[in-house]
Amino acid sequence: MFRKIDFTIIGSATILALLGVMMIFSTAGPGLMTRQTVWLGFSILVALFFARISPRIWVNLSPVIYLASLFLIFIILLKSDVYPKRWIKFGELSLQPSEFAKFATVLMLANYLAAKKKLQNFSDMLIPVAIAAVPSLLIFVEPDLGAAQIFLPILIIMSFWAGMSGLKILILFSPIISAATSFSIYIWAIYMLLLLVFLYFRKQLTDLIYGLVSNSLMGLIMPVVWNSMKVYQQKRIIAFFSPWIDPQGMSWQIIQSKIAIGSGRFLGKGFLSGTQKKLEFLPERHTDFIFSCLGEEFGIFGIIIVLAIYVYLLYRLLLLAKETRNRFSSIMTSGVMAWIAYQTFMNMGVTMGLLPVTGVPLPFVSYGGSALLSCFMAIGVCLSVSRTKLAY
Amino acid sequence: MDESVVKFKVIRNTILVLTAIVIIWSVKLQIFEGRKYSRLSEENRIRQKYAEAPRGKILDRHGVEIANTRPGFYVSIVRAIIDETTLKNLSRILDIEETVIIEKSMIEKNPNNPVKIAHDISYGQLSLIEEGIDEFSGVEVGVEPLRNYPYGELLFHQIGYVGEIASKELEKDDSYFIGDYIGKMGLELYYENILRGTHGIEYIEVDARGKEVGKIAEKRSIPPIAGDDLQTTIDVALTESVAVYLEDYERAACVCLDPKDGEILVLYSKPGFDPNLFTHGLQKIQWDILNKDPSAPMYNRATMSCYPPGSTFKPFIALAGLDSKIVGNSRRFEPCTGMYRLGRRIFRCWKTHGSLNLSNAIVNSCDIYFYQLGSLIGIDTIYDRANRIGFGKKTGIDLPNEKNGILPDRTWLERRYGRNWTRGHIFNLSIGQGDILVSPLQLACAYTIFVNEGKIPMPHIIDKNDTTFFTTAISEEALETVRIALAGVVDRGTGTLARVPNIEVCGKTGTSQNPHGEDHSLFVGFAPASNPRILVCLVVENAGHGGSVAAPITGRIIKSYLSSSPDNMFVLSD
Repeated sequence: MFRKIDFTIIGSATILALLGVMMIFSTAGPGLMTRQTVWLGFSILVALFFARISPRIWVNLSPVIYLASLFLIFIILLKSDVYPKRWIKFGELSLQPSEFAKFATVLMLANYLAAKKKLQNFSDMLIPVAIAAVPSLLIFVEPDLGAAQIFLPILIIMSFWAGMSGLKILILFSPIISAATSFSIYIWAIYMLLLLVFLYFRKQLTDLIYGLVSNSLMGLIMPVVWNSMKVYQQKRIIAFFSPWIDPQGMSWQIIQSKIAIGSGRFLGKGFLSGTQKKLEFLPERHTDFIFSCLGEEFGIFGIIIVLAIYVYLLYRLLLLAKETRNRFSSIMTSGVMAWIAYQTFMNMGVTMGLLPVTGVPLPFVSYGGSALLSCFMAIGVCLSVSRTKLAY
Repeated sequence: MDESVVKFKVIRNTILVLTAIVIIWSVKLQIFEGRKYSRLSEENRIRQKYAEAPRGKILDRHGVEIANTRPGFYVSIVRAIIDETTLKNLSRILDIEETVIIEKSMIEKNPNNPVKIAHDISYGQLSLIEEGIDEFSGVEVGVEPLRNYPYGELLFHQIGYVGEIASKELEKDDSYFIGDYIGKMGLELYYENILRGTHGIEYIEVDARGKEVGKIAEKRSIPPIAGDDLQTTIDVALTESVAVYLEDYERAACVCLDPKDGEILVLYSKPGFDPNLFTHGLQKIQWDILNKDPSAPMYNRATMSCYPPGSTFKPFIALAGLDSKIVGNSRRFEPCTGMYRLGRRIFRCWKTHGSLNLSNAIVNSCDIYFYQLGSLIGIDTIYDRANRIGFGKKTGIDLPNEKNGILPDRTWLERRYGRNWTRGHIFNLSIGQGDILVSPLQLACAYTIFVNEGKIPMPHIIDKNDTTFFTTAISEEALETVRIALAGVVDRGTGTLARVPNIEVCGKTGTSQNPHGEDHSLFVGFAPASNPRILVCLVVENAGHGGSVAAPITGRIIKSYLSSSPDNMFVLSD
């Protein structure tokens, strides 16, 4: 049964998950640790099962899985009376459909991009953008800003891997930069000027027209969108850009997280000996802020080891994507890699105070059954890709 | 190079760069700044504390401070650190039960944040706590700005008061914090956003016992921004005089305003309550006493109590008749014999007046004349004119919870009495009794119509230049006729006791019947007639006739204002 299983991939994922279980014990006690352990056992079984299935199955299954995941999110948006609407309950069990939507979207994008042999024009990107945008917007409405943003890096990496030119992708998504800079009219003006110069020397009419129109529109629409955002979302962004004017404590959370990590120093305070974590200023210390507790208890030593495992896992996935001969399998693996990479660096950036607080869990490590299962499902599919990587 | 190799390298290098950033940053945090963060983390050492902003002052028209702030000492506790003995001692010193202290501190969800449990403690209590502070754990004493009302009860109903924010208010607005003071009534409530200012934040380092060690250099504190001052049009000196004149009466309301622009000079309601007591925080028992008091001291009688206006409503019936051209000033009805028969009911007058024209009917306040006038004009015309003048509607004053009063119209009467409401109801309305109810402020505003050629200013307490007027489109001829009659009331009619030497006063007496005892005594007057500068509307509850109680007091108020005001052009002498 274990023949041809790529132990480097499932092994590093499992080690990370076990570290996570340890940290959950430290931050949230035995109750949640037990739950997470059960989830982990189940997740590994699912991954091993997926490893035995031919990756081709996912080509045909992906539209079904994709639509099913959208349907689940839709259901909670309509039915859930808990705010934010993120959970679907089956008795004792509560699932987070947004986590499975990530897996489903990777499959669906791989399906579409693999079938398309050439990716050259913006029009080729229309459907991939739509595939990623639908779940992203639904999740944004829940609201879950952290989960909604993940679809963008997945889309970018997958279409890049599938053959879209990097510059083209940059121009395609440049309106996002326009949106980010539109908070200050001066920065926005400078950005637009640079864009204009760049597009002019690129000498491509469609790029020029698309770039100017979309960027100008985004710069105009953004203030409106800003006003329609939830207050806590606005506060998080404001807190990031100017942590001193923040009576609501978003930057307080960042500061406390930085104290936790910083006070870990070389070897950390030791397992179960963290002092920051037991206090209540990190309300998400076993989920989104688990990394700061890791930094506190194991110091820079722990951080570098965990980081090394992540980098090794990502590198193995990237290598697998390169070596795999089947186009679908290759693109899909790149998507899984993008997903794990983005969440890893995003989460670390947030806890270290480099990025705004957006509520992204650390893959494999953070508490949460849905996220763990969904990640291991993706790992399982990668294992089956690895098993058949020489086949076309 | 093969395209897939290029892509592979691009992504691989991106990952490596990101990894490098994470490592560099953790080296910065854990190695270069590690010592600092270790120190901060030792015992939950840093804490953020909100510095309350001093509330803006409230000033009277001459710049006298009628609400300001003074420093006061508060006690706060940190639930996570406080121990049993400390709690027991604290409870003894502050004379608050332990359970109450714990209950208060539970509002704050984070047990590491300090919660204020007592405000404005005495020097005695302060020194007891300071003495024991080394043994106490999790107790802090600090200074905070507290609201102070130098005039106490006198201005209670207009200024209102501030009190500690309730949990419900906290949920509604997240810019407030536990233990904040918030406007609960009057101007303090209405202008809360102007007065409140903005919180400052201090980042403080504490030791293991939760005691402050110092400020944290890493996070600079934000100083609080004081609230803006509120310049009002209130005249404290005049209000004091009014209070003195009303000394002998238990319940009364007085509105004085500048009739030309609606500036409120006095808005006095009796009985009152000393708002400074709210700053300490009232005990539940005190609240119960306050709320059950039958004379309702919390109630602003000037804007929230509605009375039948009595004869003070007659000038508006006259206006309705004249403006609609249904009658002229010379119109006479059946002479007053002291009673008037309507079917089986007998309506009375308070005196036998004989035959009168309209002016003299106002001057002598003849009920029989107005019964007949009112039923001749009809409910629809009365309602139309009175509604235009503002009866049954809020005046729009800048105070919360103003009442509408009641101005009945045809549908109102039908709803109340069914189809068979009678002329008797119009009779009652014509002399300001029965269903009609007005607040003293409403009545005061209505009388400004005689000063502003048919326009009525929106009354305001905040000092501003752009008063809003609304037009009533009542003819000037009608207004002039009634205004001359109002001068006659004080000169030779029912209001002679309101006379002020050398000044022509216009006004109207009113006696408002009520089921709870003696009649309320009303008077509305303005002066000087040629160029009115003050309009007074006075209601003295259960005091008897308007002409005998309210009129003389109004006269004294007018005299007091016109002789004391610095820009006085009248030399008064007895």
